[in-house]
Amino acid sequence: MAEHKLVGQNYTTPDLVAKVTGKAKYAEDFRAEGMIFAKLLLSPLPHARVTRLDLSAALAVPGVKAILTADDLPAAADAVNDNGQLILANLDGEVALTNEPVYQGQPILAVAAVDEVTAADAIEKIQIEFQPLPFVVDPLESLRPGGPNARTKGNYWNIPAPAPAAQGGGGGRGQNPPRPEIRGLKFTDAEFAEAKDGRLPVMREAPEKWSYGDLDAGFKNAALVLDETFVTPDTSHQTLETRTVMAYWQNSKVYVYTGTQSTAQTVLGVSRWVGVDPANVVVISEYTGGGFGSKITGAISLVIPVLLSKKANAPVMMRVSREEEHYIGRGRPGVRGRMKVGFSKEGRITALDMFSVSDNGPFERQGDCGNTGVISSLMYQPLAMRFRGISVLTNTPPRGPQSQPGGMQAAALMEPVIAKAARKLGIDQVAIRRINAPVGKASFGPPAGPKAVRQYVTSAFVQEALEKGAALFKWDERKARSGKRNGSKVRGVGVAVSTYSAGSVGYDGLFVIKPDGRLYVQSGIGNHGTASVSDCHRVSAELVGVPWEKCEVTWGNTAKNLPWTCNSGGSQTIHAMTRAAHAAGMDATKKLREIAAKDLGGRPEDYEVANERVFRKGGGAGMSLAKAAQRAIDLGGAYDGHELPKDINKFTRASATALAGQGLMGVGKDNYPHDGQSRSFVAGFAEVEIDVETGKFHILDYLAVADVGTVIHPRAVGGQILGRSMLGIGHAIGQKWVYDQHYGVALAKRFHHNRPPTILDAPARMQWATVDLPDPETPVGARGIGEPPVGAGCCAVLNAISDALGDDVFRRAPVTLDMILTALEAGRPTTEPLTAHI
Amino acid sequence: MDFVRWGQNPWGQNILTHVSWTLFWASLFAGLMFLVAHGSYMLLSAHRKRPSAETDRMEAAQPNLPKRIERHSLMARAFHWVMAAAMFVLLFTAFLPVVGVKFPWVTWHWIAGLVLTGSIVFHIVHASFWLDFWSIWVGPKDIPELKAEVLREMGQDVPGLKSGKYPLGNRLYHLAIMVAGLSAVATGMFMMTRVRTPLFTRNPYLFSDRTWGVTYVTHGVAGVGLVGLVIAHVYFAIRPEKWWITKSMIFGWITRRQYLEHHEPERWRVMTDRPTGRI
Amino acid sequence: MAVIHDVMPAFELFQPASISDALTLLNRHGSNAWVMAGGLDSFDWLKDRIKRPSVVIDLSQVQALRGIKEQNGGLEIGAATTLTEVARHLVVRDKFRLLMEAAELVASPQIRHQGTIGGNVSQDTRCWYYRSGWTCYRAGGNICYADTPTAINREHAILDADRCVAVNPSDTAPALVALDAQMVIRSARGERIVNAEDYFIGPAVDITRMTVLAPGELLTAIRIPSTWAGAQFYFEKVRDRNVWDFPLLNVASAIKYSGQTIERIHLVINAAAARPLRLHAVEAAVVGKPRNEQTADLAGRIAVQGAQPLRHNGYKIPLMRNVVKRAIRGGGGGTWTS
Repeated sequence: MAEHKLVGQNYTTPDLVAKVTGKAKYAEDFRAEGMIFAKLLLSPLPHARVTRLDLSAALAVPGVKAILTADDLPAAADAVNDNGQLILANLDGEVALTNEPVYQGQPILAVAAVDEVTAADAIEKIQIEFQPLPFVVDPLESLRPGGPNARTKGNYWNIPAPAPAAQGGGGGRGQNPPRPEIRGLKFTDAEFAEAKDGRLPVMREAPEKWSYGDLDAGFKNAALVLDETFVTPDTSHQTLETRTVMAYWQNSKVYVYTGTQSTAQTVLGVSRWVGVDPANVVVISEYTGGGFGSKITGAISLVIPVLLSKKANAPVMMRVSREEEHYIGRGRPGVRGRMKVGFSKEGRITALDMFSVSDNGPFERQGDCGNTGVISSLMYQPLAMRFRGISVLTNTPPRGPQSQPGGMQAAALMEPVIAKAARKLGIDQVAIRRINAPVGKASFGPPAGPKAVRQYVTSAFVQEALEKGAALFKWDERKARSGKRNGSKVRGVGVAVSTYSAGSVGYDGLFVIKPDGRLYVQSGIGNHGTASVSDCHRVSAELVGVPWEKCEVTWGNTAKNLPWTCNSGGSQTIHAMTRAAHAAGMDATKKLREIAAKDLGGRPEDYEVANERVFRKGGGAGMSLAKAAQRAIDLGGAYDGHELPKDINKFTRASATALAGQGLMGVGKDNYPHDGQSRSFVAGFAEVEIDVETGKFHILDYLAVADVGTVIHPRAVGGQILGRSMLGIGHAIGQKWVYDQHYGVALAKRFHHNRPPTILDAPARMQWATVDLPDPETPVGARGIGEPPVGAGCCAVLNAISDALGDDVFRRAPVTLDMILTALEAGRPTTEPLTAHI
Repeated sequence: MDFVRWGQNPWGQNILTHVSWTLFWASLFAGLMFLVAHGSYMLLSAHRKRPSAETDRMEAAQPNLPKRIERHSLMARAFHWVMAAAMFVLLFTAFLPVVGVKFPWVTWHWIAGLVLTGSIVFHIVHASFWLDFWSIWVGPKDIPELKAEVLREMGQDVPGLKSGKYPLGNRLYHLAIMVAGLSAVATGMFMMTRVRTPLFTRNPYLFSDRTWGVTYVTHGVAGVGLVGLVIAHVYFAIRPEKWWITKSMIFGWITRRQYLEHHEPERWRVMTDRPTGRI
Repeated sequence: MAVIHDVMPAFELFQPASISDALTLLNRHGSNAWVMAGGLDSFDWLKDRIKRPSVVIDLSQVQALRGIKEQNGGLEIGAATTLTEVARHLVVRDKFRLLMEAAELVASPQIRHQGTIGGNVSQDTRCWYYRSGWTCYRAGGNICYADTPTAINREHAILDADRCVAVNPSDTAPALVALDAQMVIRSARGERIVNAEDYFIGPAVDITRMTVLAPGELLTAIRIPSTWAGAQFYFEKVRDRNVWDFPLLNVASAIKYSGQTIERIHLVINAAAARPLRLHAVEAAVVGKPRNEQTADLAGRIAVQGAQPLRHNGYKIPLMRNVVKRAIRGGGGGTWTS
């Protein structure tokens, strides 16, 4: 695709008018004949056992239709994944309803009634008693010698080493992963002693650990060694749309109306949670009011209305309130890190010894903890590194991946150290990041596999991003006025770099060119505000030469024949699905040429496809796509989808089979080569102004420059860069959880309590740019951008604050005015250094 | 009618919070009703006094008795009045806000509580080592006297001993106020860890929510009980026929005649080896 | 009884059209009645099923409670006048700019369109322990969950705490106290006028109420006398977010000068205690002194005397010292480059 007609251009997305006119239907907007409403009874205790439950009075309330309890749920079942591996059921994993709640707010049961008021009144009539069990809401408190465990069995997940391959087994690929188990682990008294000085104690034998290079030599050769502790906040995803669901059954099929990030793959989630065959699941999710990782395949809570609907034999709407969303809506694990970093006098990181303690919440092990190590190793390319970590179970709401999971925390742990080192070494902040930046196919993470080889990225243009950013931001000019007092105000500038995963491979594209000359694209991508639901398919349209006005995108309903599609998580989509769209587009192009050759003579290679036609190269005979579509139907076979490629997913196969015979089908699996792991990068620049009499600060300016490969849709990329930067800035300036440690209950559970940034907290000026260098390992050149802006946004602001005020103001995020004011008064950080959720 | 009030702790558990203020009104009412009933009875019924001739005889028989007989030492009186003042402050600061007179009462209340506690501690030590500790006590041996006293109060002439230094009613009252007062003081001392004072490091989590509930209700029950007891006490203190006792609590002594009229010299020996007439 | 939040229970709704009808209803239903103006405090309580009135009296239809009238060189503001209307009123802007600035800093534009000045001054505290529905002192219990060794009390009181450490969250209240406003309170028994300073009560006096409003009473109007018209005003609200946040502290001052000397001053701070505090000691100390850095410093130091920090709100002491300083010195706070 040398010249782009659609790729790289702004356009009006097909969902836009409905969104701005209010016609868009979110899960809560759907209605069904005879629909009833569900409300939840939540656990008031952080850990307890239900000892008495009497539903009689509730069931006697007129209008109550059914009550669903934990006993009505299917047992956790083993599953087989795409690789044919048996995934053993996690018997201590998350369940939608429970009789042994492990966090305050965990749903115990649900009441369905003719309306919500009746359901709520009935819930108040339920007689329920709990036996309190030991609980902990702070991971360090649980790791303290003698500290309580969040779960009866312990406080962390042990992932046993895989069993030796069974005799005659089918090789490593099919080896089944072992079942994770909960175990207990504490610091020794000697280790924990450091906590009283506000330093994160280091656990010598942590469950997660890896290393490469000669760490001791790295520190020995260092000109500067810093040993720092930093704490990042736990934050809710705060999607505007809560995880509301409406569900009903027709015959054996279940219809689930919900918000999800990934339409196609949510079928599997529903199938697994409810225990029905995927073929009997229909997911309707036309519009999703935000996900940020909390709704990758919907949410486990959707089984509640699904099963209540079966029990009550009526459609059930479960509207999730904002407070309920705080409990069941997922959150980012806060991480406290201890970073010992050696720097050469040029600022190059010679050694990094990192220990991370992550707040895992009560359920499945989260990857954030391990990611802090992996992402740090990529972003700063330390010459030698050791990572140790533990993700500690706590009785706080379940965590889930949140935009740049672990990567954002890695940036927040490392960036303040880099900034401090630059100040100590007298190196420019941009320069120190440039010297440590990954270049080209940079290695990262632990050595793995039998040959102990480290992974590497497909490409990295961080230095280019830093240079472009420094120029656009007028870095040197601003740096000169940093730290200067003007009345009670002082300014500071900060820069930060950040990275995260940006693409996966192997999914399918599917569309039909019909005899009306229009392109009908099937999109299994979730519509959660990133525009990738339509953006990716513009690659197909461009390949087959159809103007966007003649493209119809079908999305948001798995009954409408959608192809197998990646999860929209981990910023995979624009990479994975432009590849799939490219594969389908190339398939259609090939078919068009063949049809033209058949009808008009010559070889398929003599034809090209453009401007709604397939025609001989250099002019001459050709035919319209409309006509070619009719010819495809006439020809049948592969042309109209009656014969399908062997390698496409069965999900795609079913959809393509249903669409066969309607026109020329473009269908194909992404089999393009891909050497390395796709990662995107962002350099963020911020200038802040701080009032030293109140501690209050404003962000004057923010710029993010992204290395995202080819830009598919500039406006969407800009939206992602700035939007996700704000998500990160929220972590820097105020967003957090607040828990009362005595009772283990949430204090901040409403929108305004958690203080996500408002529009007036956004920088007065915000800009974005890209380096515009295509990724060499993907046909369209595009990588994902959802994640890396988060850490850059957070840390550019953090670094700007320390630039203005020095290193002795904060050692945790968010940085709030009280922290600044008391630190300025005392000349050192005074806020509690390690306590979680304050 | 609810006698106690319930609330919910952060775990949604029902916990006791306070005694119901209806109990305060009940105690106030009971105290006042007793006052009315007793007053009416005293007005309307004849009640027995030791015939003055008998007293005359006894006075003549014991010329060596001093004219003034010490009933309450200075220390004992000081204690009584300090305690009384503290008690009034405590009751008014506790209950005036309940009846709608709003003012900052907590500091006064705990300071008075400390004064009361201090005075009680002093009293216990003083009574244990310097007074006849058991003279105020009530026991099974007092049952005949109780019967006799009740009958006498009803106007019957019952033979038998008269009271010792402390009449049985006095001692019963002391027992009641001691139970109520010690309950209030003991619970109140713990409750002070819940308010800001210069004396304690605040720790509202000293006890479990349930234990605190019981503590507050005990304090409340003792407090409302004290309302009725104090009303009764004040009433008797100002009754004309008891005025000689009230005066003795002010001046410390009673007359020889009062001594002989109201007490059984056998049970309250003022002629000890110590010099008599000491005030 | 199991607990559920976020579903408003059923109640009987009355929407009287006149003050007298509202008073009749209040008199009839007594403490069973909940008075609702803009609903921004009420709906939280009702939705969370913590306050369970059987009757809600919605004042939104009472036209006589809305609007601003000029009166004897001052103003009479109907209690149900929205904060937007207050902030935009020309006389408020010209003569009593302090109130305009305070009203403009309340919450967010949407909330100011809906919220009323009467509701803003009469709202309940925002202590998150209290508003969770737990039976603390303020809710009739025997504990302050916000003042324990483990409590999270960053937003709580540094002054005048008495068992309860909640603060008054109003932005307009300190401005009204500084302006010597009078609160017009009506009930079936008649009308009474209370000085703004006396309208608010701390926990020492009544731990379950924020104002002197008793059941059956209605705040109908707020009168601002001409006393401070055109004085030198200063208002500053310090909050975490730049919009939609309650104050961590706010300060309101009205100063009249004689030459360079402070002749009269009212200085009020809020969110430091359960009621807006007029800083009488500071006022007395600065009267007769020139307006300069030295006087401002003195004011700041006196202001925080006796302040007692909790575990997480120690910052309020230097913050209060500094904003009081600025209230005397003027300028500095509100101006940002952005």
